[in-house]
Amino acid sequence: MSLIARLRAMLRRDRLDHDLDEELRSHLEMRAADNLSAGMSAAEARYEAQKRFGNTTLTKEDTRAMDIIGWIETLGQNLRYAVRMLRRSPGFTAVAILTLALGIGGNVAIFTVVRAVLLSPLPFSHPDQLVRVYDDLRGPNTHDVGMSVPEMWDLRDKSGVFQDISALVSADANLTGGDQPERIELLGTSPNYFTMLGTPPQLGRVYTQQDAQPGFTEGVVISDGFWRRTFGADPQVIGRKIRVDSDLYSVIGVMPPSFRHPGRTLTNEVDVWAAAGYIALPFPVPVLRSTRLLPGAMGRLKPGITVSQAQARLDALTAQLSREYPTEYPAAAAWGVRLVSVQEDLVGTVRTELLVLFGAVAFVLLIACVNLANLLLARSASRQREIAIRLAVGAGRGRLITQLLTESVLLSTISGIVALLTGFWLKTWLLTMTPADLPRLKEVSLSPAVVFFAFAISILTGVVFGLAPALQAARSSHVANLREGSRGSGSSKHQMKISRFLVASEIALSLVLLIGTGLLLRSFWRLAEVHPGFDPHRVVTTRIWLPVPNDPSEDVYPTVEKRAEFLREVLRRVSVLPGVEDAAIGSLNSLPMNSATSQFPFAIEGRADESRRTPVAEFTSVTPDYFQVLKAPFIRGRIFTDSDNVKGQQVALINETLARRYWPDADPIGQHLKLGARRGQDPSQIPPTTIVGVVGDIKSDGFDLASAPHIYLPLYQFAGYASVVYLRSGGDPASLGAAIRRGVQAVDPTIPVFGVQTMDDVVSKYLAQRRFALELLGIFAGVALLLASIGIYGVMAYTFSQRTNEIGIRMAMGAQRSDILKIAVSEGAFVVAFGIVSGIIGSAIFTRFLQSMLFEVKSIDPITYVGISALLAGVTLLASLVPARRATRVDPLTALRQD
Amino acid sequence: MLKPKNDLLQGTLALLVLKTLARGPLHGYGITLHIQMVSKDILRVEEGSLYPALHRMEQDGWVSAEWATSENNRRARYYRLTSKGRKQLAEEEKNWAQLTQAVAHVLQCA
Repeated sequence: MSLIARLRAMLRRDRLDHDLDEELRSHLEMRAADNLSAGMSAAEARYEAQKRFGNTTLTKEDTRAMDIIGWIETLGQNLRYAVRMLRRSPGFTAVAILTLALGIGGNVAIFTVVRAVLLSPLPFSHPDQLVRVYDDLRGPNTHDVGMSVPEMWDLRDKSGVFQDISALVSADANLTGGDQPERIELLGTSPNYFTMLGTPPQLGRVYTQQDAQPGFTEGVVISDGFWRRTFGADPQVIGRKIRVDSDLYSVIGVMPPSFRHPGRTLTNEVDVWAAAGYIALPFPVPVLRSTRLLPGAMGRLKPGITVSQAQARLDALTAQLSREYPTEYPAAAAWGVRLVSVQEDLVGTVRTELLVLFGAVAFVLLIACVNLANLLLARSASRQREIAIRLAVGAGRGRLITQLLTESVLLSTISGIVALLTGFWLKTWLLTMTPADLPRLKEVSLSPAVVFFAFAISILTGVVFGLAPALQAARSSHVANLREGSRGSGSSKHQMKISRFLVASEIALSLVLLIGTGLLLRSFWRLAEVHPGFDPHRVVTTRIWLPVPNDPSEDVYPTVEKRAEFLREVLRRVSVLPGVEDAAIGSLNSLPMNSATSQFPFAIEGRADESRRTPVAEFTSVTPDYFQVLKAPFIRGRIFTDSDNVKGQQVALINETLARRYWPDADPIGQHLKLGARRGQDPSQIPPTTIVGVVGDIKSDGFDLASAPHIYLPLYQFAGYASVVYLRSGGDPASLGAAIRRGVQAVDPTIPVFGVQTMDDVVSKYLAQRRFALELLGIFAGVALLLASIGIYGVMAYTFSQRTNEIGIRMAMGAQRSDILKIAVSEGAFVVAFGIVSGIIGSAIFTRFLQSMLFEVKSIDPITYVGISALLAGVTLLASLVPARRATRVDPLTALRQD
Repeated sequence: MLKPKNDLLQGTLALLVLKTLARGPLHGYGITLHIQMVSKDILRVEEGSLYPALHRMEQDGWVSAEWATSENNRRARYYRLTSKGRKQLAEEEKNWAQLTQAVAHVLQCA
């Protein structure tokens, strides 16, 4: 009662104050009244009463202080006693702290990541107003096709939902002028990009709308990392010039180290931000609505508009524009604009995984709690005598329960502190284990919110595992235990039942965790088994970027011929490197697993334009040996030859998926395609492209996606500025990369070579995130299995040790060892069976959340369920067998002699 | 007068208050009057320590309190002894008797 009363008093502070005021006042008035009737004057009466009372304010403070004193006193007593109890059994305390520290630590670690990645808002002003803008063609079902400049203007001016909108053009760029050309990550934006995000620079200034130019603005902003790498953190960097893609720009500002572009980038962090108007060179002139020039855009919504409201208005705008410009927006394409909040865009893909991990680690903690609860139950049985005495002397049951709970909360709080400290020391090591491409990874840190979470979860844990044993201990009949001669270590049947129920729930929880892991494992195996359509072993790739200067007259490689010439020479040189078996060059999107590639419409000559389903495909240009380097199967027809250059006939290869889709019964060889017009070409003058061969499907977008239809064009007819060099060789990738660089720079010393990686690396990076989740989950499941086994072993051992008496009697009456064993095993089996059945039901419910992470595996996959259940049943039955066998070794005479 | 400077005297105040309330519910002023009167003005409760003590006793569950109207139609907070308080009173009376007896013995043997 005292605890609750104190709590209540502390919470009803105002009422206590008011009541106290009134009470003291009435005391004074009553004495004043008595004084008055004793003969004093009114003033004297009040004065004397006040003087006699003393300092009213002091009295009020003293009275209120009683609350806290009482509270502290009780807490202090409880804590001292709790510490004494824990020190009496150091073994138990150590094991408990270790188990709990693991469980709490795991939860805190995952929470740290969840908080930084999912919960905390992006570090910009009003981050909920920031949205990514995507253009989709819903007809052919292609997404993120890019935006044209007039569209961006219309979105800004006519929609009424945006305060600001900025283009986003992620690009490679060549930084020249140093001893080595270097590839940097450039982000082209509109001039209002920085004012839209609102982050001030650490040095200099950012560009604003006033710096707007039709082409690129001369002043650029650099990142902190780039500043340190390239300028050695020189404070006089403002005004210094850098040569990017052959053009000179001057540095006007440096962003702080914590600033990150809130979106996906090509490779690393953005090095240089540049502003452009996109309506003059190097961009195509005149500005056409039909040219989807801008790969991305980001906007800030007006205050008070939600994303869904804005989306609705944009839908209305796109419908209107489609009517106004029917040629640019053909009805079959069904053009639309999609808004995604920037935070969702960044972290949406990992949300399910992180939450699954969080749930899993919470399960592990729960299982640890159940284990501890069981342990405590067993211990409280041996403390019955002590408890009984205290109850008899008059300690309230409430007080007793509070005392026991203090012990468990103390235990869990110590564990929580241990977990926090360990996490703090291991922080850097833990961070290296997370996959590097986790969005917002750099923001993960030990913040006050994390510490608060750690304490909250520690206290909660203590209450959860301490409550049942505390309630159980306080309710047991104390009279019986004080009987003369009793050792006070008997435990009631009720306690046994609770124990067994706890173990069954442990088994159920472990089963859910194990089945979840099993499903993910099967899914991962399936994924890894998928044949990628090529052989990634012993293939080294590097990337090349030819500079795109703003003034086309300065472009060293302005035409396809010039670029083809360069690439041809590079290919010749790398082919003769020692150890190289095959070599090829391809366009950037020829690199499998690189990133999501867009599909573009084409037409088949001789077929009417089926309005509903415009044919689309991915377009890639490659040199003839590309398929040989990757060992992609060649099905029919012929590969490109060197004579398929610009002067030759337009030819193309298609993959099996495209062949099957559009020529299911016929031979596509010799058929004609009509591809989109290129810059400067008159659409009606496009020569048809002849299909000369069919190749096998290369899974270029990801193992879990169906193969996309692909059209391969000869690189020498369609050479672009970004290329990938492929070498099949057994040599060391680093030295091969260096050799390729030497070869390229022998042709043109200003061209950087970057991104050296083996195809194996590319594939494994693709699987890295899944593998990480799987590994973690596997660890959790393993720990859960261990805990559950220990749990059932402990409970069974304890149960049988309590029943040595009964066993002795049975054996004395003629029961065989095997009979005892049968009883023991059947009891254990009952608990296990109950646990497994509940676990299966639980799994069916919980694993539904995993479905989006599973590949070709149903969340109710019978093989996994049966297999894992059998495994768990086997392990736990074994765990219960050991104490059972020991029980049969009891000597009946010894057993009977025990009291 | 009785100052709550050490546990002994503070405990004595509690004993006196409990005993007073054993006769029936009273408000704080009434308790001071009663003690003063019955001890023939020798014991005067220091009013600054009465209310903290009453609050403490209320928290420990020895007394319960509620607002009511006094004989002069004045609103006052009346304290009443609980069963726990009765037990406590018996305990304290026993202790007090032991204490005074012990002191008496020591004085006699001097």
